[in-house]
Amino acid sequence: MIAMSRREMLQTSALGFGSLALAALAQQSSARATETVGQRDHRRRTHFAPRAKAVIMLVQNGGPSHMDLFDPKPELTRRAGQTMAVETFQAGNTDKLMACPLEFRRYGQCGTEISTLLPHLGGAADDFCLVRSMYSEHNNHTEGLVMLNTGKIFPGRPALGSWVSYGLGSENENLPAYLVLRDSEGYNTSGTLLWQNGWLPALHRGTEIATSGTPVLNLQPATPVPDRLRRNQLDLLSQLNRQHQQQYPLDTDLEARISNYELAARMQLATGELLNLSNETAETQRMYGLDQPESAGYGTRCLMARRLIENGVRFVQVFPPVKPQFQPWDAHSNTKTENEAICRRCDQPSGALIQDLKQRGLLDSTIVIWSGEFGRLPVSQNGLGRDHNRNAFSTILAGGGFRAGEVYGATDEVGYRSVVNRVSVPDLHATLLHQLGMDHNKLTYPHHGNDETLTDSRVTDARVVREILA
Amino acid sequence: MLKHPLMRRVLLLMTIGLGWPQSSVMGAEPRTHWAFLPLDQVTVPEVKTADRVRGEIDRFILQRLEEKGLTLSAEATRTAFVRRVFFDLTGLPPSPEETQSYVLDNSPQADEALLNRLLESPHFGERWGRHWLDNAGYVDVQGLDNDAAIISNTENKWLYRDYVISALNRDLPFDRFLLEQLAGDECIDWRNVDQYTDETQRLLVATGFLRNSADDTSANELNRRDVHHQILERTHEVVANNLLGLTLQCCKCHDHKYEPIPQTDYYRWQAFFQPAFNPDKWLQPAARQLPNVSAAEKKRIEAHNSERDQQIAAVRSQIAATKLPYEQRLKELKLSQLPEPIRADTLAAVQAPANQRNEIQKYLASKFEESLKVKPEEVTAILSEDDKHQITERESQIATYAGQKRTFQHWQAVYDAGPVTPTLVLNRGDPLLPGQEVSPGMLSVLENHLANNPADLVAVGDSSGRRRALAKWLTNPESAAGSLVIRVRVNRIWQQLFGRGIVSTTDNFGVTGAQPTHPELLEWLGRAFVADGERLKPFLKRIMSSSTYRQSSVRNDEHSQQVDPDNRLLWKQRVRRLESEAVRDSLLAVSGKLDRSVGGVPVPVEPRPDGSFVVKKEGLATPTSAFRRTVYLLSRRNYHPTLLNVFDQPNLATNCSERSISAVVLQSLTMLNDAFVLEQADAFGDRVLKNGDARDVRIASAFELAFSRQPTTNEAEWCAAAMNREVEFHRQTNPACTDVEAENRAMIRICHTLLNTSEFLVIP
Repeated sequence: MIAMSRREMLQTSALGFGSLALAALAQQSSARATETVGQRDHRRRTHFAPRAKAVIMLVQNGGPSHMDLFDPKPELTRRAGQTMAVETFQAGNTDKLMACPLEFRRYGQCGTEISTLLPHLGGAADDFCLVRSMYSEHNNHTEGLVMLNTGKIFPGRPALGSWVSYGLGSENENLPAYLVLRDSEGYNTSGTLLWQNGWLPALHRGTEIATSGTPVLNLQPATPVPDRLRRNQLDLLSQLNRQHQQQYPLDTDLEARISNYELAARMQLATGELLNLSNETAETQRMYGLDQPESAGYGTRCLMARRLIENGVRFVQVFPPVKPQFQPWDAHSNTKTENEAICRRCDQPSGALIQDLKQRGLLDSTIVIWSGEFGRLPVSQNGLGRDHNRNAFSTILAGGGFRAGEVYGATDEVGYRSVVNRVSVPDLHATLLHQLGMDHNKLTYPHHGNDETLTDSRVTDARVVREILA
Repeated sequence: MLKHPLMRRVLLLMTIGLGWPQSSVMGAEPRTHWAFLPLDQVTVPEVKTADRVRGEIDRFILQRLEEKGLTLSAEATRTAFVRRVFFDLTGLPPSPEETQSYVLDNSPQADEALLNRLLESPHFGERWGRHWLDNAGYVDVQGLDNDAAIISNTENKWLYRDYVISALNRDLPFDRFLLEQLAGDECIDWRNVDQYTDETQRLLVATGFLRNSADDTSANELNRRDVHHQILERTHEVVANNLLGLTLQCCKCHDHKYEPIPQTDYYRWQAFFQPAFNPDKWLQPAARQLPNVSAAEKKRIEAHNSERDQQIAAVRSQIAATKLPYEQRLKELKLSQLPEPIRADTLAAVQAPANQRNEIQKYLASKFEESLKVKPEEVTAILSEDDKHQITERESQIATYAGQKRTFQHWQAVYDAGPVTPTLVLNRGDPLLPGQEVSPGMLSVLENHLANNPADLVAVGDSSGRRRALAKWLTNPESAAGSLVIRVRVNRIWQQLFGRGIVSTTDNFGVTGAQPTHPELLEWLGRAFVADGERLKPFLKRIMSSSTYRQSSVRNDEHSQQVDPDNRLLWKQRVRRLESEAVRDSLLAVSGKLDRSVGGVPVPVEPRPDGSFVVKKEGLATPTSAFRRTVYLLSRRNYHPTLLNVFDQPNLATNCSERSISAVVLQSLTMLNDAFVLEQADAFGDRVLKNGDARDVRIASAFELAFSRQPTTNEAEWCAAAMNREVEFHRQTNPACTDVEAENRAMIRICHTLLNTSEFLVIP
């Protein structure tokens, strides 16, 4: 069978992306080449009807303290000062249990207990499922974050967002399917490692979008080129490229390169509009905390995430502030004051995002994940802090067909280990793919002679956690 | 009749008397999987299209083509061929002069002369060294390289990069190349020599091959047993991946699920490397690096320096003695300025140790200590002329002594860290669950008397000799292991020249890997490589002299396309996109800015707040360092200059056996708008403007520089038309712009446009 050229495929798109996807599926057999090229890959690899079509992942790096924020442990308070042997990571740990110095309260109709430091996130308690029985595999930030994002602790594998992009493609012709919003002041721990495409084709790599200035790197030259001259240049380029391409009519890579120059021009317009927040009401801006210096940065990114989802982007990853700490939830010296500081910056925008999506009717089709890479230890470190703990942490899953107003799983009496209905990171990934209409064992990519999957369930035993699905 | 390559092999084995092969793919004994057998002796086939045969390679290729009723495509044009050869051998485009001299050379030896010339170019080692550095996973940094802003550049790690480039330029035989990299330290008794020689340096630096696994144990919280194991594991897994084309990771915790590799094999393989990366005697990075002088020399240096230190101390005390009376005088003067009644008490107070002062003394000290202090400049001010002169002389003496002190640097090498400790199988791969002890040994599926002879495992000086034995086994081409190493190597060489290996899964030669498209050719190439003395240059010449390599990549033939849509059988050469390095190097070559100097410390790169990464502009070794070849830029695991990153520069968490090639929109944006690209476009434009005054001459010159060819009539007209429109634009919008300026700007934009074409990015 002769592979259809990208141009022919795009011509068929007059019939809509559905037919394009079909055309693409029809020629799947022929092509490693078409697999690795092109800016757009509209093939849908869904296996059943999806509950959600997009994901916003609020990465809360540093290791949020579950027993101080999401998982109240009265027994820990009662046994404060008693000794307990735990697996520690850094120096400065005692073997003495430390009570939670913060308050909890019940939120919403469901009455889920969450810290008083998180009134906005807590305010959305009726709209999310709180999983208190997460566990990971490594006590170092990098390994933990790489695991949260790729399913394994060692780098080099594709990120969750890359798999979603690969599985579902984009609904927006002018934007990549997987976008990343980070603090313009710098990278969080592990930086770009967290949105790598691994061995998936490069178009599935997360693309960084800046919330101010030029939204995408090199979208514009430093010295602007007048539109007419740029058009003139692109027209000549197209003539030269088409002539060259005639020698290689079946090379989809060359075809993609030609259409990419047109896409580049469209992207310039599309992102400009998207990033212009002035058409958001003052009320919306206040809701996300844009009027307060502490929450404005992260709030802008959360608001931007909603706008991107509205515009057909599949997977948006939002990162917390990098200053004063590029792993903001990493409270090693004082769990009270450090959590107070970061909650002031991150609580309101996170809560607002869930509320806003709900108001706009987008929450049903959008999954919001709020998660760190691991939790913290019940014993004290450096006086009033807590060290890393891979054995237990809490994750929030809102929208997208997850049960709302529920708590799932539990840790032991002092919050050291997840013990009831434990959920691994690969389980989480399997469940997320399921909600997007994909079977984690069937979404495969050939690599090193194996059909690789996100969850590698033959080794990890990953399963869909159906108990948390509505 | 026998269409499946495996079936062809079956026939082959049966005809040469080996009987029916029990390939694991067919569900039987894995030991007979083709890749695990010694290199086969194959018969070169006869073919019909004898006129296209330049050498044996063509016969193997033509045979498969003829079976399908296909042919090779026509010869590539000379301009396409010269460009192809330049990129393949040096990673750089030919200059117009170089193109011209080849195209005009009508002698029958023209091709050979071209190949010979390029194989002798110093840029050959840079190009093919880069391929090997990918396979080895070479980076300049030590750790995981997680954070953009933190660059932990390791002292002299780049010497290994230069070792590789030089080894390839010298055409070191592959078996020797491997021996030096796996066990250079076990080739000489470096611990007990009096002086290191150039050879010592070369052999120790060569082991930098094994120093590329991320090691963050310099941070105390990561200096832990499980992390030590991880580093050891990654080191030997990369070696297995690179040399054997097998993935061992899976059998760390259990027997391999898809390959005939039991878990014990993993630890037997690990045992070769454990004495060097020994979790029982872990060396943190600072302790692991080796002084670049011998132990004896280091002692001499230390003795020499301590002598100088003593001399310096003696002169210092002479100076102090000269100054002492002046200081006394000043002290008394200052004391005398205090009211008499408190003088003695104040003196006692400031002389008392700070923590033993009583309340009154504390008060007095806080009040007067500062004013009683004699400052050095006060002493200098009252020195007699004689004393001043004497002190100046003595200070210069100190400087002389200090200048005589000798220093040394460090190398990043690999060597056994003390006596061997047992290697234990770890249950579920967990260091806390040690099981049975194993001794070093070849993967059992590759094991035979040639590649597992215990007699080879002999200590070399203070070293276990394990890696040396491993190197011996892996480089014996008669053994199954050595044969596999050669197959993997020649397959990767083929992949570089044709864009795809004969085995398309270049790092999976196991039973789950792809079947070779030309199994006999792979065997034949392996033997040819051995016959060439395992030297890369004659071997490359062999392949690049073939009609198969020489054929055109342009061929629009429906029949061939239908029979073999993926061009697996090579009915045309494959058009290949340049790797990231070649994109940047080509930009610099065309702009005329390329600094062609060879070797040396890495050129630093830095992150910018907007998320881009660029080559540093300040504090460079020379003004043109920023324009050196990409292989000399600081090599990080995860953070590459943006230009390289968008063109698929791989992340080197471990190593890379095949570059992925994409065509994403960020590439277009970068070529259109990136500051570095625009700078090169301007320089390219200036170059073209100097090459002539007439527009058509300039356009022709731009095409020659960018594409090694003349523009077609159409292309020249399109460019001229685009220039007319731009000139008109400048006239309308900016009356101050002169005609010459408008013309020049339009020409520079043509140059920038040529850099954005697909043609610029591909090997034709």
